[in-house]
Amino acid sequence: MKKFLTMTMAVMALVVSMSSCGSDDDEPEVAVANQVVGSYTGTEVLTVMGEADESTETFEFTKATDSSVDMVIPKYGEGMMTVPALPVKGIMLTKSGNTITGKLAQYEGSVQTADGAEKAYTVSDVTVIFSDNTVVVTFTQKYGNMPFGFEGQFTGTRK
Amino acid sequence: MPAVNLSAQSTFRDSVELNPIVVTASHTPKTLKDAPVVTRLITLHDIKIVDATNIQDMLTQEIPGLEFGLAMSQETSLNMSGFGGNAVLFLVDGERMAGETMDNTDYNRMNLDNVGRIEIVKGASSALYGSNAVGGVVNIISRENLEPWTANANTRYNTFGHEWRNGASFSFNTEKWNSQTSFQHTMIDPVDLPKAHTSEEIAIELMKKAQGLPYDESVLNDDSNISRLYGQKTYNVKERLTWRATDQLTLTGRGGYFFRTSERDTYDYHFKGYSAGLKGRYAWDHARNLELSYAYDQYDKANFLPDGTRTHDHDYSNQQHVVHALYHHPIGKNSLLLGADYLHDYLTTYQFIDNTSHTQNNIDAYAQFDWNITERLNVVGSVRYDYFSASCLDAFTARLAVVCKLPLFTLRGNYASGFRAPTLKEMYMHFDMGNMGYMIIGNPELEPEKSHNFNVAIERQNRIRHSGILDGVYNFTLMGYCNIFDKRITTIDYTYEGMESALYWNEDGVNVWGVDLSMGHYFDWGLTLKINYSWMHETGNVWFSQFNQTRNHSMTWRIGYNHRFSRCYALDAALSGRCLGKPQSGRTGVDQGYTIWKLMVQHHLWRGVHVNTAIDNLFNYKPKSYYYSSPLTTGTSFSIGLSVDLDKI
Repeated sequence: MKKFLTMTMAVMALVVSMSSCGSDDDEPEVAVANQVVGSYTGTEVLTVMGEADESTETFEFTKATDSSVDMVIPKYGEGMMTVPALPVKGIMLTKSGNTITGKLAQYEGSVQTADGAEKAYTVSDVTVIFSDNTVVVTFTQKYGNMPFGFEGQFTGTRK
Repeated sequence: MPAVNLSAQSTFRDSVELNPIVVTASHTPKTLKDAPVVTRLITLHDIKIVDATNIQDMLTQEIPGLEFGLAMSQETSLNMSGFGGNAVLFLVDGERMAGETMDNTDYNRMNLDNVGRIEIVKGASSALYGSNAVGGVVNIISRENLEPWTANANTRYNTFGHEWRNGASFSFNTEKWNSQTSFQHTMIDPVDLPKAHTSEEIAIELMKKAQGLPYDESVLNDDSNISRLYGQKTYNVKERLTWRATDQLTLTGRGGYFFRTSERDTYDYHFKGYSAGLKGRYAWDHARNLELSYAYDQYDKANFLPDGTRTHDHDYSNQQHVVHALYHHPIGKNSLLLGADYLHDYLTTYQFIDNTSHTQNNIDAYAQFDWNITERLNVVGSVRYDYFSASCLDAFTARLAVVCKLPLFTLRGNYASGFRAPTLKEMYMHFDMGNMGYMIIGNPELEPEKSHNFNVAIERQNRIRHSGILDGVYNFTLMGYCNIFDKRITTIDYTYEGMESALYWNEDGVNVWGVDLSMGHYFDWGLTLKINYSWMHETGNVWFSQFNQTRNHSMTWRIGYNHRFSRCYALDAALSGRCLGKPQSGRTGVDQGYTIWKLMVQHHLWRGVHVNTAIDNLFNYKPKSYYYSSPLTTGTSFSIGLSVDLDKI
């Protein structure tokens, strides 16, 4: 009897253990995009023609698909001297350990300025790295007829 | 481009013997050795061996102290002995061209497909050429074939940007008529310039920094300004027709069309050029003649969306009508030159309020006396008066040049004044740069830029005989100069309606001191050694611009060899190079000197068939970072071309 009880408990333990494992396997993996969406606030450095300008900004990341996100580069400048916020869509994500990396070669879009004019823009060479609640972004942006590009670097943490 | 005919090496030797005729220094045909001012001549042989597509390619490889970089919108920007592109006057057959791209002429218009020679006079020449001839004059002179007819078709492929150049030319010559027609098309793909670090490498270091881990700060500070060279296509068609009506009267008509398109990140840029002219020349004898001419030149710019729709927010058109009168009158061994010009300048641009237009008339008169005091002493004096209607400004300029031929050397001394009148753009601009509220404001009160140029030169050329392999011709020219450049037109910080802005303004000038050395030895057995060195130094209000830089030291050289092995095969080879020292000003942390070598080999095959090959950047130089004065190379590139003279088949 004692031997039977011992075996029964062992089997139950095994079942519990296996069902525990089975329970882990069945839990759906959170989509990569869901793990990184949100608002990140931190320091943006924009370099134009060799001159760097540093400011505190917020970058928004929203889910596009399970494995890609859209990003909004915040507006830059003051008053009339403003580049409006620029959406960048379709940044593909890959996960490795605790790090999620996003890449996009080029995105072409258009945006309306404060006075209603339609301006074309290009954001290229985009790299985004998420780790824990921190994000870093590097990109190059060309706006309208501006004859030069902005080289951007951003480091922020999720609110 | 047709390759050199080695059986006719006279063109090549002429450049050595100092016998070719030049016109730019005195507006009068003179042999190079008699020119009153040191003139740098690029011969037809030079043009062919370099296999240059346009004036930029040619001058870069031949002239030290001259450098082409990029302006803000990736248009080409010139620096010649400390002067920018708007202070150097480019002429095609003596005519200036309309339009500008970031203060520079569109050098793509100056293709070399049908060019016979290029004359370069450094220093001021406004006493003959008026405004813009502040830092020098580059005169591109078309070829005039004298054979009954010629026809050439050529093509070249270059691995850099997968560039294709295709051209064709045709000429005929009769007792009364001479016609020259040329066409050239070029096409180059965009070239991505490697950055010192990829965006991913930068992002990784940035993340390390954010996480408080050790990181490499140098990776975060990428000094590159340019990540991509835009591709472009060009089309260039030219026709010149000459009618020798009588022994005394010659009439010449010409026309040209140019189109360039460049695909940018957001828009396609279109550039168009139209030119036409009519010239009559009546010659009483070889020395007394009168020329009357009319020239028209137009340069347009516009932006297009990728779907082909014109945006109309970047429309630009500059149109110039010019009338010239020029009279040469001999007085014994001396000669008098009298000239007058009328220029009507029209400009409409998106950079004016409401895309409006402005016009300006420029009238001038000038005189030059060429006084041959003795066989060995020549003095040339010139004076000129210019008036500009828009600014109601005038300018008086003068030149005095002395040439003294000693038994062993020729000495030259020259003083010349120069000026550049404010352009319509500089006077009336009212432009919101990039639509960001940063205004650039013109200034109708601007005064002309002024320059004073002093130079002295010593020259020697001689033939070595009966010395075996040393037999040949050698020459050297050593010139020292000083340019005093004042009232330079630039922009200063300005506040317009509370906004940060820039205003065109006359600033204090700079003084440029320099020495040019040119040496060559041309061996009778086919070897050529040439070296050109330039030293210069700027003092005064030196402009620390990242676009326009002055390098203290620069040098070009060429080792050439040509030989005809048989009736069916001749070889023309050249190993050339250019070395540019570190800039005196600019972004000194980024800017660097560099040396680039090029090997060119031309095979002249049976009956006018030529194969041209080149290896550029032979030792695979790569800039650390790409900025506005970097050489536009990503490493070694190769080119191969075929040229066929159809009239010789």
